[in-house]
Amino acid sequence: MGTARKKVQVVILILVLLIGGFAIGQTLFKEKSKVPGVGDQPPGFSLFDLKGEVHSLADYKGKPLVITFWGTFCPPCIRELPEFQRQYDKWKSEGLEVLAINLSEADLPVQNYVQRLNLNFTVLRDVNRKVERMYGLRSYPTTFFVKPDGNIAEIVVAEMSEEQIQKRVEKLFEP
Amino acid sequence: MFQNTKCECGHQNHVGTVLCESCGKPLGEELLSDEPLEMRYDGVARRSQKANPNLIDKIWSFFSSVKIAVYLIIITLLASVLGTIFTQENMLTEDPATYYEMNHGTIGKIYYMLGLSHTYNSWWYITLLVMIGTSLVICSLDRVLPLYRALSKQQIRKHLRFITRQKVVYTGPIEGSEEQFVERIAEQLKKKRYKVHTEGTALLAEKNRFSRWGPYINHIGLILFLLAVLARSIPGLHMDMYVAVPEGQTNEIEGTEYYIKNEKFTVNYYTDDELPDSLKGTARPKLYETKAVLYRCVEDCNELTKEPVLEEVARHDIVLNDPLSYEGLKAYQSGFDATPRLELVKPVLINKQTGEEFGPFELDIRNPQTTFQVGPYTLNLRSQYMEFAYGSNGEPTTLSREPNAPAYLFIITGPGLKEEGEAYLYFPNQIDKLQFNQDALNRSIADRFEIKVNGMENVKLSGAITYLNIRKDSAVPYIWIGAAISMIGLIMGFYWHHRRIWLRFDQGTLSLGAHTNKNFYGMRSEVAWVLGKAGIEVEPKSLDNGGNKT
Amino acid sequence: MNFWLELSSDSFIAAFFLYCFGFIFYMIAIGGKKWSNRDSKAHVKRWGKIAYIVSLLGLAAHLLFFFARWYGSGQIPTSNMYEFMTFLGMAIMIAFVIINAIYRTPLLGMFALPLTVIIVAYASVFPQEVQPLIPSLNSIWLKVHVTTAALGEAFFAVGFAAGLMYLLRVVDFKQQTKEAKRAQRWVEFTLYVLVVIVGFIVIVFAFRGADYHAEFMQEQVKIDSRGQESTTTETVEYTLPPIFKPYNSVTTSMDSFLGLQEPLLETPSWMNGVNAGRKFNTVIWSIIAGSILYGLLRLLLRKRLGAVIHPYMEGIDPEDLDEISYRAIAIGFPVFTLGALIFAMIWANIAWSRFWGWDPKEVWALITWLYYSAYLHLRLSRGWQGQRSAWLAVIGFVIVMFTLIGVNLVIAGLHSYAGV
Repeated sequence: MGTARKKVQVVILILVLLIGGFAIGQTLFKEKSKVPGVGDQPPGFSLFDLKGEVHSLADYKGKPLVITFWGTFCPPCIRELPEFQRQYDKWKSEGLEVLAINLSEADLPVQNYVQRLNLNFTVLRDVNRKVERMYGLRSYPTTFFVKPDGNIAEIVVAEMSEEQIQKRVEKLFEP
Repeated sequence: MFQNTKCECGHQNHVGTVLCESCGKPLGEELLSDEPLEMRYDGVARRSQKANPNLIDKIWSFFSSVKIAVYLIIITLLASVLGTIFTQENMLTEDPATYYEMNHGTIGKIYYMLGLSHTYNSWWYITLLVMIGTSLVICSLDRVLPLYRALSKQQIRKHLRFITRQKVVYTGPIEGSEEQFVERIAEQLKKKRYKVHTEGTALLAEKNRFSRWGPYINHIGLILFLLAVLARSIPGLHMDMYVAVPEGQTNEIEGTEYYIKNEKFTVNYYTDDELPDSLKGTARPKLYETKAVLYRCVEDCNELTKEPVLEEVARHDIVLNDPLSYEGLKAYQSGFDATPRLELVKPVLINKQTGEEFGPFELDIRNPQTTFQVGPYTLNLRSQYMEFAYGSNGEPTTLSREPNAPAYLFIITGPGLKEEGEAYLYFPNQIDKLQFNQDALNRSIADRFEIKVNGMENVKLSGAITYLNIRKDSAVPYIWIGAAISMIGLIMGFYWHHRRIWLRFDQGTLSLGAHTNKNFYGMRSEVAWVLGKAGIEVEPKSLDNGGNKT
Repeated sequence: MNFWLELSSDSFIAAFFLYCFGFIFYMIAIGGKKWSNRDSKAHVKRWGKIAYIVSLLGLAAHLLFFFARWYGSGQIPTSNMYEFMTFLGMAIMIAFVIINAIYRTPLLGMFALPLTVIIVAYASVFPQEVQPLIPSLNSIWLKVHVTTAALGEAFFAVGFAAGLMYLLRVVDFKQQTKEAKRAQRWVEFTLYVLVVIVGFIVIVFAFRGADYHAEFMQEQVKIDSRGQESTTTETVEYTLPPIFKPYNSVTTSMDSFLGLQEPLLETPSWMNGVNAGRKFNTVIWSIIAGSILYGLLRLLLRKRLGAVIHPYMEGIDPEDLDEISYRAIAIGFPVFTLGALIFAMIWANIAWSRFWGWDPKEVWALITWLYYSAYLHLRLSRGWQGQRSAWLAVIGFVIVMFTLIGVNLVIAGLHSYAGV
């Protein structure tokens, strides 16, 4: 009776550790996986640009990225766009890419602003707020600064001045 | 190695046995006392005691203790109370990081920092539940096996001290034949559904033994329940999301290969007659229903450039308590938005001077074409504003991406107009047209031309948007099974009581003892009844031999 | 109002009065045995029987109220606070009848009856109109969940009554030891709380009879997640004179009371919302009325209430009371589990498509369940029977009442009923 009992005890305690560990582990890790945060990899996507070509996040692997979400209904977003353009001009020779994802608006307003502001970085069109939800956006503008190694260095949920953008872009180039 | 304790009846008991497993004679400390016997688990040793308990034994003992279990229950209780002080995070629409401090001050801030804003899925709360689960398993195993052994091999003739130290006792002389007396008692007891065993002039009557297993079955049910709850967090077994589908549209259910269509949405409101005075005039929905169709994507599902190929798999009229159900996936009616929105308008271009009408042309509110040929005129759409307003710099802009106040800027070319074209700002909504003074804005062109919609038949309003809650919960059936088993255990344990009566004769004196796990009041009444039928009148109260009674 | 609803109303009043008479007769049975010249046992038996029959008639009238209202309104009468509380009162009577059939103690009636009367009177404070159900409440599981839970709670109520009786029996108000004094104080406090509840009922009916009204308007500024501000104005009506008006509110109208034209004080700002002010005001009034009532009783009786009742308890064996209290809870626990947890989960799964959402009311039902579970486990240990067990039964019922009333009062959620 003695040894059999001991085996049963050990088995049960091991099960408790495994199951309990799983349960507690779930609570510790579950919350983070929903919305990408600093240090995570940005979720992949495939979207059309204004010419009708498909761009995937994977196409930009290995490059420092600025992913910004904007809409024509959001004045601070509009104010930021020319600033992003200037930064893009400055750093594109070093490999910086700017992806400006529009928040599921119609063709025309997006085209109008791109033309008016003379934007030549990649402007992508989100559809049905899908990518917006994936990235867990709560307000706009929201900008993700992604290092060449693929991890998010910083998330800014506010309008930035050009100096603020510049500072963060510079950090992306640091080793 | 463990020591044995050999009883005077010849049986070997384990160390820690309180009453001899065979004859019931009190052992060890129990022998010395005169109090009613400790009858828990029939006095068997619950676990083998060793001189040096190792780590495993110590952990096992910890979880096996009822005292610890009670502490765990109370701590869980108090923790649960804490979670009700302020609204939990999962109920909030606002951002938790600011909500608590803003609405409840410093206490709110502390509440949030301590993690109490998500008490019920915090790691320490889950730890408490895991510990309770462990306690359930170990407490039960530790007790049920010895109890089963003890109850399965009961001796009929018990030691005299065993009988006289029960909590319900009768002793006294008997007139006449002992065998006859035993027979009469046995007969009466059988009427009360006892199983009677006799051995000479000793008798053991027992009923409702099954009720002793009740608590253990209850615990098994609870364990299954907890495991099922835990299983829900295994990926793939659980989904809970909302999808908004405007009438007539088919939307993707993200994360699955399914699409759902809102074929038709209807809502009925309570009439004023059906409402009490205080609620008359309010729009209180009585019934709302979505005729839904579920599709599965079979090809081209993630291709951005192609339309997914869909195959219908289920159909259902979803109402509030009646979801669409398909292979574990369920679509519940959650809410709706019946405010009518413009979807399409078909305006005409009117030459005010000649009175001619050209068109109509189809203007999709959200995604319009950019060029329209209307009679001899060409309309080029230059700008589109979903919610027209004047920005801080005085320029037209849009306040949102929802068509709350749509406006369209056309450049019109054609006969009667300048060669480079003239601008015309068109507001489909009458209210907006008046608010923004469309005619004054358009200045001279407004005297000569007008774009407007003739009649409601040229306006298409979007149907209601239905909000469906898509859920998958494969582990849920096991939750119900666990709950059912738990209930069965509770009912078994609380509504029947395990009763046993022993009696023996020693030189003409009858000694009768009775024991039950609950409800000694009833036990005494029953014993008094049986004795009465055998010719001995007693008051139930007089049978009480003291001792703690659960 | 149609015929059935009128019949229902009349039956309700009949039931209430019958219960009151039942209570009086039980008091005559127990209290009068000191004055009766003849055999006191026979006196108790005779009056006990009369009291029991009157109570049964009351229960019959109450059942008639329930079924007539059901028939007349087309839906089961358990969907607002008034209906639920009256059902609870009815369930307590049923639980009492069952326990009484097992143990046959008229003394239990002396406590179970007033408990029912208080609960039924408390129920009457709330709006009595039949309200149509919103679709999410429309399921058979509603009927099953609410009625079963109420029945379980009714048994806990009887356990509470027996527990209180045990304490009044066992705590000697003449003893002077530190422990005895502590026990006396807690027993007296429990009785005081019961008087406050009676005070609440009396004061609400008094001002309702005087048709008192006051109205306030409060502006609330909300900031949503985008930083946008929105201002809403909400109005609230008081049916008791405002000692505390809502925080940051404007008096739109107010009947004068004792010459006062303006509210005395203002609710502290940390109590959110217009209704918080109203509820706080009601609680303060209840405490005032209850304290005055208690004070009058003390003046009249010139002893602590516990000391007055204690001698009448002598006829009963405390161990029996302990057993009754435990047995009531043991019977009620599976019923409560089934009704308040399992049926609740089934219904929640159907109505809101999640079987458990950690809504405050759900959590408090769980808290109640855990508490009684601890009670039952503690009974297995020596030393936890008797006085400790009686206190646990009393506290347990406080938790039950908090789940039913306190959660609505202090916390809001999916479960809220309309209130006072």
